[in-house]
Amino acid sequence: MEVIFMLIGFSLLVALIFLALFFWAVKSGQFDDQHTPSIRILFDENKPTQKQNSSTTNKKDQD
Amino acid sequence: MAVETFKYDNEIVRKFGIATVFWGIAGFLIGLTVALKLIYPSFLGFIPELSYGRLRPLHTNAVIFAFAGNAIFYGVYYSLPRLCKTPMWSNLLSKINFWGWQAIILSAVITLPMGFNTSKEYAELEWPIDIAITIIWVIFGINMLMTIWKRREKHLYVAIWFYIATFVTVAVLHVVNSIEIPATLMKSYPVYAGVQDALVQWWYGHNAVAFFLTTPFLGIMYYFIPKAANRPIFSYRLSIVHFWSLIFLYIWAGPHHLLYTALPGWAQALGTVFSLMLIAPSWGGMLNGLLTLRGAWDRVREDPVLKFLVVGVTAYGMATFEGPMLSIGNVNAVAHYSDYIIGHVHLGALLWNGGLTFAMLYYITPKIYKTELYSTKLANVHFWFATLGAIFYVIPMYWGGITQSLMWKEFTAEGVLQYPNFLETVQQIIPMYALRAVGGSLFIIGAIISVYNLWKTAASGQLLAAEEDQAQPIIDPAAGSNEKWHRRLESRPVQFTALTLVVILIGGIVEYVPTALIDSNVPTIASVKPYTPLEVEGRDIYIAEGCNNCHSQMIRPFRSETERYGEYSKAGEFVYDHPFLWGSKRTGPDLHRQGGKYPDSWHLRHMHDPTSTSPGSIMPAYPWLLEQQMDMETIDERISALRSVGVPYAEGYEDEALDDLEAQAEEITQGLHQAGFKEVDGIEITSDKKIIALIAYLQRLGVDIKGNNNPFEGLPSSKVIGTAELEQRSDNN
Amino acid sequence: METDILTTEGTSCFHCGEECSSDAIQVDEKPFCCEGCKLVYQVLEENDLDNYYQLQDQPGTSQLGSTARKRFDYLDDESLLEKLADFQNDHITRLSLYIPGIHCTSCVWLLENLYKLNEGITQCSVNFLKRELSLTFDHRQTSLRQIAELLNSIGYEPDLRLDRFEKKAKTRPDHRLWLKLGVAGFAFGNIMLFSFPDYLAGTSTDLDGTFSFFFGFLNIALALPVLFYSSSDYLKSAWAAVRQGGVNLDVPISIGIMSLFGRSVYEIVLGIGTGYMDSFTGLVFFLLIGRIVQKKTYERLAFDRDYRSYLPLSVTIVDDEEKEHSISINKITEGVRMLIRNQELIPADATLLSDQCFVDYSFITGESEPVKIEEGDTIYAGGRIVGKSALMVATREVSNSYLTKLWNDAAFDSESKGMDVSSLADRISPHFTLAVLAIAMAAALWWLPAGAEQSINVFTAVLIIACPCALALSTPFTLGSVLNILSRSGLYVKGIEVVEKLAKVTDVVFDKTGTLTRSDQADVTFKGDILKKQDKEMIKSVCKQSVHPLSQKIVTFLGGIPLRPVEQFEEQVNKGLKAMVNGHHILIGSASFLEEQSGGSFSDQEISGRAVSVVHVAIDGKWRGWFELSSMYRRGIPELLSGLKEQFSTYLISGDNDQQKQELEVYFDKESLLFNQKPQEKLDFIKELQHRDRRILMVGDGLNDAGALQQSNFGIALTDNVSSFTPACDAILDGDAISMLDRFISFARKSIHIILWSFGISLVYNIVGLSFAVTGHLSPLVAAVLMPLSSISIMVFTSVTTHLTAKKMGLAAWK
Repeated sequence: MEVIFMLIGFSLLVALIFLALFFWAVKSGQFDDQHTPSIRILFDENKPTQKQNSSTTNKKDQD
Repeated sequence: MAVETFKYDNEIVRKFGIATVFWGIAGFLIGLTVALKLIYPSFLGFIPELSYGRLRPLHTNAVIFAFAGNAIFYGVYYSLPRLCKTPMWSNLLSKINFWGWQAIILSAVITLPMGFNTSKEYAELEWPIDIAITIIWVIFGINMLMTIWKRREKHLYVAIWFYIATFVTVAVLHVVNSIEIPATLMKSYPVYAGVQDALVQWWYGHNAVAFFLTTPFLGIMYYFIPKAANRPIFSYRLSIVHFWSLIFLYIWAGPHHLLYTALPGWAQALGTVFSLMLIAPSWGGMLNGLLTLRGAWDRVREDPVLKFLVVGVTAYGMATFEGPMLSIGNVNAVAHYSDYIIGHVHLGALLWNGGLTFAMLYYITPKIYKTELYSTKLANVHFWFATLGAIFYVIPMYWGGITQSLMWKEFTAEGVLQYPNFLETVQQIIPMYALRAVGGSLFIIGAIISVYNLWKTAASGQLLAAEEDQAQPIIDPAAGSNEKWHRRLESRPVQFTALTLVVILIGGIVEYVPTALIDSNVPTIASVKPYTPLEVEGRDIYIAEGCNNCHSQMIRPFRSETERYGEYSKAGEFVYDHPFLWGSKRTGPDLHRQGGKYPDSWHLRHMHDPTSTSPGSIMPAYPWLLEQQMDMETIDERISALRSVGVPYAEGYEDEALDDLEAQAEEITQGLHQAGFKEVDGIEITSDKKIIALIAYLQRLGVDIKGNNNPFEGLPSSKVIGTAELEQRSDNN
Repeated sequence: METDILTTEGTSCFHCGEECSSDAIQVDEKPFCCEGCKLVYQVLEENDLDNYYQLQDQPGTSQLGSTARKRFDYLDDESLLEKLADFQNDHITRLSLYIPGIHCTSCVWLLENLYKLNEGITQCSVNFLKRELSLTFDHRQTSLRQIAELLNSIGYEPDLRLDRFEKKAKTRPDHRLWLKLGVAGFAFGNIMLFSFPDYLAGTSTDLDGTFSFFFGFLNIALALPVLFYSSSDYLKSAWAAVRQGGVNLDVPISIGIMSLFGRSVYEIVLGIGTGYMDSFTGLVFFLLIGRIVQKKTYERLAFDRDYRSYLPLSVTIVDDEEKEHSISINKITEGVRMLIRNQELIPADATLLSDQCFVDYSFITGESEPVKIEEGDTIYAGGRIVGKSALMVATREVSNSYLTKLWNDAAFDSESKGMDVSSLADRISPHFTLAVLAIAMAAALWWLPAGAEQSINVFTAVLIIACPCALALSTPFTLGSVLNILSRSGLYVKGIEVVEKLAKVTDVVFDKTGTLTRSDQADVTFKGDILKKQDKEMIKSVCKQSVHPLSQKIVTFLGGIPLRPVEQFEEQVNKGLKAMVNGHHILIGSASFLEEQSGGSFSDQEISGRAVSVVHVAIDGKWRGWFELSSMYRRGIPELLSGLKEQFSTYLISGDNDQQKQELEVYFDKESLLFNQKPQEKLDFIKELQHRDRRILMVGDGLNDAGALQQSNFGIALTDNVSSFTPACDAILDGDAISMLDRFISFARKSIHIILWSFGISLVYNIVGLSFAVTGHLSPLVAAVLMPLSSISIMVFTSVTTHLTAKKMGLAAWK
């Protein structure tokens, strides 16, 4: 079953890669703000649908 | 330093979208075909390229790598640039990624029906294509990572983390599982044998599901649910925890696919425990997705995108609960080898992967075509076809699977099998197979509706090939935090040594492996011998025809199985099996103790027309095996390839191989002739036909353990070398 | 969805959603409540940032009252900029601004698109929870001043306070804990994997030596970083404690950690066992989770503000050439001439040079009525100029002005306050440790006959199993969820360490002004002739012109009636208002004011005793009647007071006069009602009580209570806007939540009981474990099951019971 050595080796390797990534992420403050990013992805510069119902809102204001 | 304007490439998104739909439909239809073949075995019979054993791998490959695969690229190529506020790094690489991937799929479509097949599930493609896959995948990775590197948004949204995990892990998995020695241009043998091969295969197999069908789609979920619902994810913190816990657990869950096999007990238990632990992160993710929509259910009722997302995430929840349950011994004992597993995977595939993919298609298409969805009504119709289709598919599979499995295990009061004839159990569930085909058809009809809907949508709009966006570049004077981290670490010598120690250690293991592998192929059961050249050819035919799709070669240590098939399988019996052929499904009976069970002539008739020996059998007929010539030219190359992966053929034996092959073939043919089978309805039986090799292999299955027979005895080579060499070899353990 | 919301709020301001009269300002058919809102809208519209209004309806904050345009010229001060900047080079400046106005998706969007309004800004990103905008800008193209003015102009006024920047180092997030957790988690996961084979060694046939050795070796390798990195905090703190001859909870924990690791290495290296590395890493992992919970605080709230956070960053001074320019307040020296404008704070004690001015000392004394100062009089720092600006010469530096003295009082150096600071867990840990060591010794001796090795095994086994992991977790997890629940109900507690103090209070002391009453509202009644609609409109229009608290209250009282154009407006601070509205001559103010203005005379006899202040109204010289304004109690105050009185001795010490004595005597005993208290007196009163072994909960607002809040055992600062200025305190209480005060206290008490319960549970685990240990049956498997089990069950137990308790008490258990 020596193949397990290899599998563990590779698995650990992968795990270590991610541990390193984790370090980088935390260090570079990736997770300092754990809320705003989830809001930020909702912004789209060009949203045709948005524009439309905005024009309807304007109409609504008029009456 | 002012704001920068740039353009997203929607053209590539569109391409992947079309590919997704196209291959999706194709894959579904092939699936339907094989489903029908189980009801009408003669359906499209007599065309070797379209036989069940060759189409099933094509179906799995098509839906996983062509449908889901393109869907992943579709989602990544759309969301990643928008999350990074920058176009994909290289349009050229994007194009290579696209056309390369399609070429790979095409080659699969050609080679699998032709019988070029490694027999490893989800990794059936032969070595040249494996290499191509590696190259294209790395290109995708480079393109993705460089895009992330060049990003304008400092924060990596959680979806990106899932994408990265997908790339890294799949790369490693694919390479490790595909370490194989080419024998000819389209034939190779894996370096691992038997149990080891099985372990590697399922370590890969499980993680393929984990990192190809789960993590990328979780990324997609985390992007498209908030976007479609236009509200932030329920808890962003939870999503981060979800990612990291998933990453550190998933990789270990593989062995649960091999419960009750010859795999060491502790390795099996390991798989079980880690699989159970997986429920936590998986459900965390599901709830996070669903709770995002709390208070917006009125929208879900109208919006097909949200509908598909919701049903998809729910299916994910069910599947990820079912999975761990199935990894529990007693449950697994019943479900394994049965159609239950087929139901389980389709629950995930049809609704989780399918659902999210269609959600993406309905969300992205109108956006990039700057228009509205052509018909929400049709989309909703599609939704119901898909959902009901999946239900009509899954329920019968569960039902049939359990029914059949229980019949296999049922004993009479006298303690003999209630249903000694395997066919009885098959007959029992054919109605379920029929129902399943109906469910599948419903799903496909839905998919076809979506094609029309999407096409009309595209037609109603105008592709915005390059979508403009604005953002400011990151100018980070405090950049290179990596290096800062490194400095920190160096300032803590102890931790630094500790970490390096671990790294070196792992490096060492990886180095040490190849030798370990070869050693480990030394037989642990003296009486187990390598296959004769003819048997090797027979085995390759067995693989090419995909017999392992329906027949297992792994008898579990249950009385019900030993009663039915004979002594249970030992790890030591498979040391020369490159690759292992344990199989994962018993549409037909297990074959591990097939050797010597029936006369050669029985196999001859059975392969020519299964119903002639087994009335009511749903196994397709293989008349062409009686007509086609076996491949004698490359036998020497295959023998030496096998030796190089550790099969103890004597030096220079490859030169003897052909003689041995012909001699043994002749002997079998004579036998058949004496038994009165000079020809079977018009087809003359000669020693150069594939059927002879296959019979030789089937008759060899599982016999070694019975006694100290020597398959090479009486073969020409035995006078020169071979057996002696073998004895001497097998003695040194 | 957006549309239907809008239709329901027809006449609400398109920008901020404030109610506004039908004839309000209109731009592109959009109604606006005030010029401010209209202005913001126009700025955004011009720069097509109108997406702001699409992401969210009426996302703005009301610009009402922000009439006096803020001055940011002091931000050009180089030395100041250096203080504020996180980073600076020849052309780039990076800093982050605290913007209380951030409250919705649109805010984030707009502020992150700020660069569209100012070329010089190269980067801007918002931290929503912290209400923080981090900026990078090219200071050759723009300046902080311009940016601040821009932010102000779009309704996101940055809150610039010196202390925010001076404490910067402290507020930077601490990553190390997370990294340690990451390492521990990683090692835990993998070691579990490698230890597994051993547990199943029985069942497995072919787990040969190579594996055990290999896995053992791997386990040590993985455990090393956990010991030296992840668990370092515990070891350090324990070592420190021991060196000072004390014992804190980290001591037994460290003993446990060490023996776990040592024993494991010993077993693995000698090949006699598999070690406890999984238990070891798991233990550290859980402990660290506890640490992280413990660390939880409210990023956007500041509990330990001092006068520096109250004063402005800088002040306008007039130099000898009569030129005005602004300097940082630290630079104020004796003799500097300061020009303080309407609504600005006086940073240092000074003598007035202008002939007269009006100062609102409410923050110091609690009295909201402005005080008249004549030329040559002394003005105390902390006062706020009302009305026309005043020139004055500083007589003291900021650091030793009257205001500052409030903080220089002993109460503000935390040592003097330090009664019962040590936590429950810390108090029991010495006994605990002793007990454990004793048991270990005893067990070791008992087993000595069986050989040294065995007795050492038992000894270490006891130390291992008795490691008080669960004990260490119960406090942070219970109090962690307590904090969450309280904050959801409106009480923001500084940190988990002070909850225990809240639970222990015996006396509750209130400060009346703004504590029991609402500063912004009042019981207003009008006596006299019936006012016609248009009279009301005119009165409102006039009052709206004045920033005087009484005028504001009258405006709120008159409610959503249309405004009329006001001419010839004139305000005589503390006397009254005078103006023309559609040709009518309006007089609003004190009796004397109206008399001197119009000669007539008014009798006050019918004014009821309760009234705090009276405002007379005359239209076209004809006296129409008067407004009676008396302070209004917050919701549920009476119930609260009578409720509290049953459990605690309650006091009221107010800076105000004793007008309301008799009605307050319903809720308080005579002797526990004190009026006209100076800050120092309040403080001494608290001290006095504490000398009688009472533990005081002080509820106060404003600066005048700062000393008392500090001195009290648990100081609660009451505010109607949690992100606005509050004096140093242990907790900030949302004004509307004060009625739940009694529940908060008893909830805190219950939480302490929960902790005790969980201690009990962990004790049970320890006893079970010890029984294994002393009998020499502690196998790695038992440890591996027992230790995580105890930790997890404690986590679950504490958080579940706290939430259930909260639910039972009607506190917001879940969001």
